[in-house]
Amino acid sequence: MAERKKIIIDTDPGIDDAMAIFLALQSPEVEVIGLTTIYGNVYTTLATTNALHLLEIAGRTDIPVAEGSHVTITKGTKLRIADFVHGTDGLGNQNFPPPKGKPIEQSAADFLTQQASLYPGKVTVVALGPLTNIALAIQSDPAFVKNIGQIVILGGAFSVNGNVNPAAEANIFGDPDAADIVFTSGADVLAIGINITHQVILTDADRDKMAKSNGKLAQYICKILDVYFSYHHDAYSTKGVYLHDPTTLLAAIDPLLVTYVEGVVRVQTMGITRGLTLFYNKQKRFGEVSEWCDKPTVKVAVTVDAPSVVKLVMERLMHS
Amino acid sequence: MSIVQSEGINGVVDFNNSFAQKRDKIIIDTDPGIDDSMAILMAFQSPQLEILGLTTIFGNVATEDATRNALLLCEVAGCPDVPVAEGSHEPLKGGKPRVADFVHGSNGLGNIVIPPVKSKKSEKSASEFLVEKVSEYPGEVSILALGPLTNLALAIKRDSSFASKVKRIVILGGAFFALGNVNPSAEANIYGDPEAADIVFTSGANIDVVGINITTQVQMTDMHLDQLRKSKGRHAKFLCDICNFYRDWHVKSDGVYGIFLHDPVSFVALVRPDLFTFKKGVVRVETQGICTGHTLMDQGLKKWNSSNPWSGFSPISVAWTVDVEGVLHYVNEILMKP
Repeated sequence: MAERKKIIIDTDPGIDDAMAIFLALQSPEVEVIGLTTIYGNVYTTLATTNALHLLEIAGRTDIPVAEGSHVTITKGTKLRIADFVHGTDGLGNQNFPPPKGKPIEQSAADFLTQQASLYPGKVTVVALGPLTNIALAIQSDPAFVKNIGQIVILGGAFSVNGNVNPAAEANIFGDPDAADIVFTSGADVLAIGINITHQVILTDADRDKMAKSNGKLAQYICKILDVYFSYHHDAYSTKGVYLHDPTTLLAAIDPLLVTYVEGVVRVQTMGITRGLTLFYNKQKRFGEVSEWCDKPTVKVAVTVDAPSVVKLVMERLMHS
Repeated sequence: MSIVQSEGINGVVDFNNSFAQKRDKIIIDTDPGIDDSMAILMAFQSPQLEILGLTTIFGNVATEDATRNALLLCEVAGCPDVPVAEGSHEPLKGGKPRVADFVHGSNGLGNIVIPPVKSKKSEKSASEFLVEKVSEYPGEVSILALGPLTNLALAIKRDSSFASKVKRIVILGGAFFALGNVNPSAEANIYGDPEAADIVFTSGANIDVVGINITTQVQMTDMHLDQLRKSKGRHAKFLCDICNFYRDWHVKSDGVYGIFLHDPVSFVALVRPDLFTFKKGVVRVETQGICTGHTLMDQGLKKWNSSNPWSGFSPISVAWTVDVEGVLHYVNEILMKP
C-alpha cells in the first residue's frame, strides 16, 4: 500500500468540522497526525474541548490536539463566533460530557512547524477555520512554507457573495490579515471557497439514510445535525446543509474531486469589504502596477464533483 | 397604439406634426473619450431623444479637455447650441485625478488633429446644471453617466430631492463578480471617484448600472470597423479616425483585435433596455485599502442575521446579461445612418 498522506486538521469544531474529522479518521488514504484548534464556530478553548471529545468518540485518543491562538494575528480580541450556526456548544447543543483528554503543551503554530520540519514535503494541512495558526507558523519559521506539503483551505468566496455579509466568507472574515499572509506566502495552497462548497449539499433524505444506518459515527453526526439544518433552512431557504469542511477534507485526499485555476489571491483587510478574497489569474494585462503584481500564485478550486463528494461522505460515515 | 413619427431632414423630428412623439429628455455626463464620442454621436442621431446638455468630468482626459471635446462633438453633430456644463476637476476627496490618456490619446480623441472649437461652455457648473434641469422637469430627465460619478454625487449633495426627481440614471461603471480594468479589483470609472460612486449607488435614485462584465462582451472587430469606415454613416469617418488609437491599445492590453463598446453599450441600455436583463440588489463601493473602487452587489441569496454595510439601502438594477447580437445590430444601424 502506498504511503499514507500525513494530515493535520486545523479546526474550530463545529458541526461540519466534526464530519470532516470523522471522515479523515475513516479514510485509509490518510494518517491524521494531529488536530490544531482555532476560534470561529466556537472560541478556541471550546474548539480544543470539542476536538478532544470527537477523538474520544472515534476511539482515537492517540492523536494529539494542540491548542491554537485565542486572538487574531493582529492581537484582535473582538472575534466573530458563529454559535448561531453550530449551537452554543458548537456541536448542536447536545451537552456532551467533558472529555478526559488534554491538549499537548505545544501551541498549534509550534506543532505545525515541528511536524512540517520532521516530515518535509509530506504533511498536508487542512485548514477549516480562520488562518491565524497557519500565519503564525509562517511568521515563526521561515522554512515552514517550504517544509509543508500542501495547505488546503476552506475559505473565501470567489466571484460570489460571502456568507458573513455580501463581501466576506466566515473563515477569511475571522482573520483577514492572517489569510492575506497565507495566500501570499508562497506555500502550495489550494483554496476551496463557498462558491464550491455551496454546490455540495447533504439533503434531508441523505440524513435519514445515514440515521438508519448502523454506522456509529453516522449516528453521532445525525444527532448533532439538527441545529445546522434549521440554520440553513432559515438563512438560505434550503432543505439541506452545505458540506463545507467535508468537501475541503476530501479535496485534500483526492485532488481529482475538484478542478482549479492558478493565480494570485489577495484579501481585503479593511473597509466595508473587509475579508473579501480577490483572485487574479493574470489573463488580463494591466497598465499599472497593482497589489497583485509579483505575488506567488495559489490554486483556487473552480469546479467540484459534488455527487461523488456527498457519496464518499455518507459511505465512510455509515461504515464506521 | 402606435404613434406615427415624421422625420425631417437629418432625422430631426418635425414638431409641427401634432402626432409627433414627445422626446425623452437626457443629459450625458461624460469624459470624451473615444467610446464616449461614439455614444454621444449615437445620441444625437437618435430622434426620439432631446439632449438637454452634456456635463463633463475627468477620466479618459482631464475635465477641461473633456469640455473642449464635448463642445467639439456638439459641433460635429450639428448641434452647437446644446449646452456643455463643465464638471469637477477632481474627485470628492480631492487630489489629482487618474487620467487614462494611454487608452484615448493625450487629447482624448485618439490624437487626431482637433479643429478650433467655436462654441463656449455654459456659465453653470455641471452639478448646478444637473440640479436645475432635473428640477425643471421632475420625473422626466434621464442621465447617461459615462465617467466617474463626481458630478452626480455633487448634484445629490446640492439638492436632497435630486435622487427622487431624476427619472433614471444609467451608469457605465463597475465590474460585478468579474475582474476590473484598472487593477483586478476595480473598474476605471468607479476607481476614478469611489466615494462619489458609493453616494450615487446608495442615493435611492432609479439606477441601472452596466459593468464591464457586460460591456466587454460587446466588441467591434477590425472587420466591423472597416465596414463602418466604408459606410455612409454620418459620422463614420470621424469615429473611425479617432478609433485607431483606441483599437491599438486593445491589442496591447487585452489581445483584442477590435474595441470594447463600453459607452455605446451603456447608451443602448438607456434606449433599449429590452436588450438586457437586470438583477436587483444593493451595491456598495469600497473606498479603502487594496480593493478601493471595488463594486460589491448583494445578490440577496442569503437572509443575513445581523445588519451589515449593505443593509437598509435601496436596491439598484445591475445589468446581468446582454443580447450581444442585438446590441451590435442596434449600434451599427445608428452609426451607419447617413
